Amino acid sequence: MWRMWLIFDPRRALVALFIFLFVLALVIHFILLSTDTYNWLDGPNSAQGAAAAAVATP
Amino acid sequence: MSDPDDRLGLRTYLTPEEAKEFHKLFMGSFLGFTAVAVVAHILVWAWRPWL
Repeated sequence: MWRMWLIFDPRRALVALFIFLFVLALVIHFILLSTDTYNWLDGPNSAQGAAAAAVATP
Repeated sequence: MSDPDDRLGLRTYLTPEEAKEFHKLFMGSFLGFTAVAVVAHILVWAWRPWL
C-alpha cells in the first residue's frame, strides 16, 4: 500500500485530496442548508418557506 | 532535457523508506479525519436522525 507513494507524487496527491475534500464539504453543507429539516440557520419551514407556501397554495 | 523514458518510470522522487514514512503519517491523518467525521455524524444523528 505504501508503494502508491512511489507512483503518485505525495505533494500533488495531497493538494488534489484537500481541494476535493473542501469542495465536497461545501457541496454537502449547502445541500443540507437547502433542506428544510437540516437548515441549522433559519430552522425548519422558516418565514420565507411559509410565505412561499402561502403563495403556492391558492 | 532528461531522457523522456525515465519520466514514465514508476518512481517519484521518494525512496521506499520515505514512502513508508509518508504512508504512516498519511494513514494517521486519514484515521483522525474519519474519527472526526464519525463524531460529527453521531452529533447530527442525535440532533435530527435522517432515517
